[in-house]
Amino acid sequence: MFTERRARSFIDTHVLSRLAGVPLMARRPMQGNVSGRHASPHRGASVEFAEYRKYVPGDDLRRLDWRAYGRSDRFYVKEYEADTNLRACFVLDTSGSMGFGSTGITKIEYARKIAGSLAYLAVQQGDAVGLSCVAQNIVRSLPPKRNAAHLMLLFDALEQAEPKGDTQLATVLHELAETTRQRALIVIISDLFIDPSLLRECFQHLQFRRHDVAVFHLLDPLELSFNFRRPMRFLDMEGGPAVFAEPNEIAERYHKALNLYLDGVKQVVLESGVDYHRTSLAENYEQTLLRFLVGRTRAKGVR
Amino acid sequence: MTFLQPLLLAGLPLVALPLIIHLINQRRFQTLRWGAMMFLLAANRMSRGFAKLRQWLIMLFRMLAIAALIFAVSRPLASGWLGLAAGGRADTTLILLDRSPSMQQRGSGSAASKLETGRQQLVQTLKLLGSSRWVLIESTTNQPRDLESPEALLSLTETEPTSAAADLPSMLQAAHDYIQANKSGHTEVWICSDLRANDWNAESGRWQALRDSFLEFAQGVRFHLLAYSQPAPENLGIRVTEVRRLETSDAAELLVSLKVKREAGDGQNDDVKTIVPIEFLIEGSRSVMNVEFSGREYELKDHRIPIERARKRGWGKVSIPADENPADNDFYFAFSEPAPRHTLIVADDPLAVRPLQLAAAISPNPAVKNLVEIVTPDQVSSVEWEKVGLVLWHSQLPEAEAAKLVESFVGRGGQMLFLPPRDPGSQELFGIRWKQWIESPKELAVDTWRGDQDLLAHTLSGAALPVGQLEVQKYCEIQGELTPLATLGGGVPLMGRVTTNRGGVYFCATTPALADSSLASNGVVLYIVVQRALAAGAEALGNTRQLVAGPAASENSVNWKVEASSDPGYSTEYPFHRGVYSTDDKLLVVNRDAAEDQAPVLGEGRVAELFKGLDFARVDDSAGNLNSLIQEIWRLFLTMMMVAMVVEAGLCLPKVNRVTGAST
Repeated sequence: MFTERRARSFIDTHVLSRLAGVPLMARRPMQGNVSGRHASPHRGASVEFAEYRKYVPGDDLRRLDWRAYGRSDRFYVKEYEADTNLRACFVLDTSGSMGFGSTGITKIEYARKIAGSLAYLAVQQGDAVGLSCVAQNIVRSLPPKRNAAHLMLLFDALEQAEPKGDTQLATVLHELAETTRQRALIVIISDLFIDPSLLRECFQHLQFRRHDVAVFHLLDPLELSFNFRRPMRFLDMEGGPAVFAEPNEIAERYHKALNLYLDGVKQVVLESGVDYHRTSLAENYEQTLLRFLVGRTRAKGVR
Repeated sequence: MTFLQPLLLAGLPLVALPLIIHLINQRRFQTLRWGAMMFLLAANRMSRGFAKLRQWLIMLFRMLAIAALIFAVSRPLASGWLGLAAGGRADTTLILLDRSPSMQQRGSGSAASKLETGRQQLVQTLKLLGSSRWVLIESTTNQPRDLESPEALLSLTETEPTSAAADLPSMLQAAHDYIQANKSGHTEVWICSDLRANDWNAESGRWQALRDSFLEFAQGVRFHLLAYSQPAPENLGIRVTEVRRLETSDAAELLVSLKVKREAGDGQNDDVKTIVPIEFLIEGSRSVMNVEFSGREYELKDHRIPIERARKRGWGKVSIPADENPADNDFYFAFSEPAPRHTLIVADDPLAVRPLQLAAAISPNPAVKNLVEIVTPDQVSSVEWEKVGLVLWHSQLPEAEAAKLVESFVGRGGQMLFLPPRDPGSQELFGIRWKQWIESPKELAVDTWRGDQDLLAHTLSGAALPVGQLEVQKYCEIQGELTPLATLGGGVPLMGRVTTNRGGVYFCATTPALADSSLASNGVVLYIVVQRALAAGAEALGNTRQLVAGPAASENSVNWKVEASSDPGYSTEYPFHRGVYSTDDKLLVVNRDAAEDQAPVLGEGRVAELFKGLDFARVDDSAGNLNSLIQEIWRLFLTMMMVAMVVEAGLCLPKVNRVTGAST
């Protein structure tokens, strides 16, 4: 499948082989251009019966249900569900804060693993995958395609993604919602360090455009625990002013602010119904992906 | 605050240790590239109220714990304000003890008087503080006396209560002289007093001089005032104002006038009537009279007490039941047959002194006989001076032997009135000499005279003597220092008094001769002047003498015998203890000073003013206080340290954290 067999740091073949058994499913009907394994809003040629429709002149006579004609003396055409492929569009946050990691792995590396593995699995099952690396704006964009050569390009793009600059995730998500024309699975991989109310508007916009939105919210364990002993000088990875803090003094208020934010995000997620996964960097990404895939299988999209 | 281990206080800078550790910790910060800045910025924006305060409180309690530990191991001695005032070990400790009657006031619910409590407190305090030398200056003699140890304050009779008033400026002067004479090092002066205004004499100009002279000491003198200023508004004091023996045809009786006075108070109880039994003890026979007392003062006039006709002389005592201050609950008096009032007129020309003779011979009281003897200056040595009460000297001033006789007469308390001779002469007596006669072209009137006291004072009813009606044609100038009692126009002294320790010496610039003045024709003034001088002289030389307890009464006290006394003590101290004493053929009655019955106490501000500029600390105590003024208080500091540590630990305890782990 690979034209150029180059090892990628974020691709683990063993993990991929283990995950290959679980299909990547969409939670909503997708509008693909070829046959696939996802539900389509249109009628097609699958084996799954959908409905009877009255015959109209011009319909293919091969699809007439003769048995129905025999019983009712009327012409009915038998229709079947269509199965199509999906467009998976990965939105990778490459802002400066994604370079943080206290467990030996940075958020961007974790994000690469998730995006890379899912892209491979999607292409494997015939879905198209695209990538948007975003920071202040869309840094790099690859349109969704389903061939293997495109997957290589996507891997290259992932490899080259560098955490740099400020986050303007909200603006970028609105832009993506407008520019992605067909229904797609939008997978956002970010630390989501923006105001939850802005996030709500983004999710609602995406869903209005009938996209299936999945979110991997990457958080470092240190960011959650804020477990420091000595006075710290915190340098902003996104270029803001440095903050000097006495951990004993500020920890309580930090946790208060953090909890407020997490509660806000939870509320947004519940209201908008996105497929949200809060992910600690301490967790193995295989587990994260498995949970994601299995969860989607259960919530397989209805037509 | 004073410490038994002051060297350990050198460790006090260790108090800054928590602060230094904090600052070092601050400098050892780590730098970290951080992603979740939005939470940090939000946390910074939040109110840091209690969190910030908590940090400071933790720091404060850590410092407090260290400070308390250092203080505790330094073994502090303290109590109240004294703790802040006491200094290091003194070289000399001077104890100024006020033994005045008001110091015998008892505290409420306690039998201990102010003086007893003060002595106890001083002993305990001075024992703890330590000193190389202890010196007592008590209020009767004002003489410094070395003490072996502070405990001697409890056993010495010189620290017992007396009836004599104290003179704080004199005591301080004695302290000053002692420090100067002995060149003592660091000196602590402890004053134990109840701050009575009459004892402190705060208006006296001596205070300024004392302050200045104490400030001159380079070694440093520290004053501690152990003040017992609590008043006793309900305390009653009794005082006999007059005693007369009256003989009728078949009996004799005493007329006793007295006053019972309530000490100050706020006037709330003025309307409450109480019955006070006044006990009279006269030569062993007792009688009680109940008087209804309301208001502040009760005056009894001429209370008649029959006595044996044969008893010509004796003593008595009035007393009221015990109250807050036992020192003013009794008063002694003595009585005797009035002695004949003997006047000696010394004149060159007996005829010229006829008006004087008349003025002296006519007695205002039929019971008292007035005798007049006229002699020439040459016969002075043959006169019985012991019987004479008043001398009217109308001749040249005496010299040599005669002058000595006159001086000793005045020294015994006799009264003298000098009138100018025709030839003034050049002699000088008591620093006074006659200059020359001045004849005025017209009659001179008396310009001013002292109506408040002395010979020309107003009468008991308040009426002024007709001094202004006198006319003077001729007068003799007086050279020397005297206190004018009356002056003619232009400030020329007409009558004046020379300052003497005892007795009275008066000079009159004119004579009763008709050519000189209207003293004889307008005889009222002359008569009253002579009779008043005679009465004063007779009293001083009479069989009984009323003395005010104090050093002024201490003449020849070793010969005194006790007839009756409340707390006699040693014979050298008789003049300071109220009672009746006899010497030779005289009865001496010693009582407390009238000023002691006055309640005013110096205010805190006034006392501070008196010691302004000096190293001064005041400790207010109350009579009967059993708590020591000073004690070791390391336990208190140790407790403080433990409390500080517990509070610090409580503040450091982290809040129960809600778990904020990762979840899906």
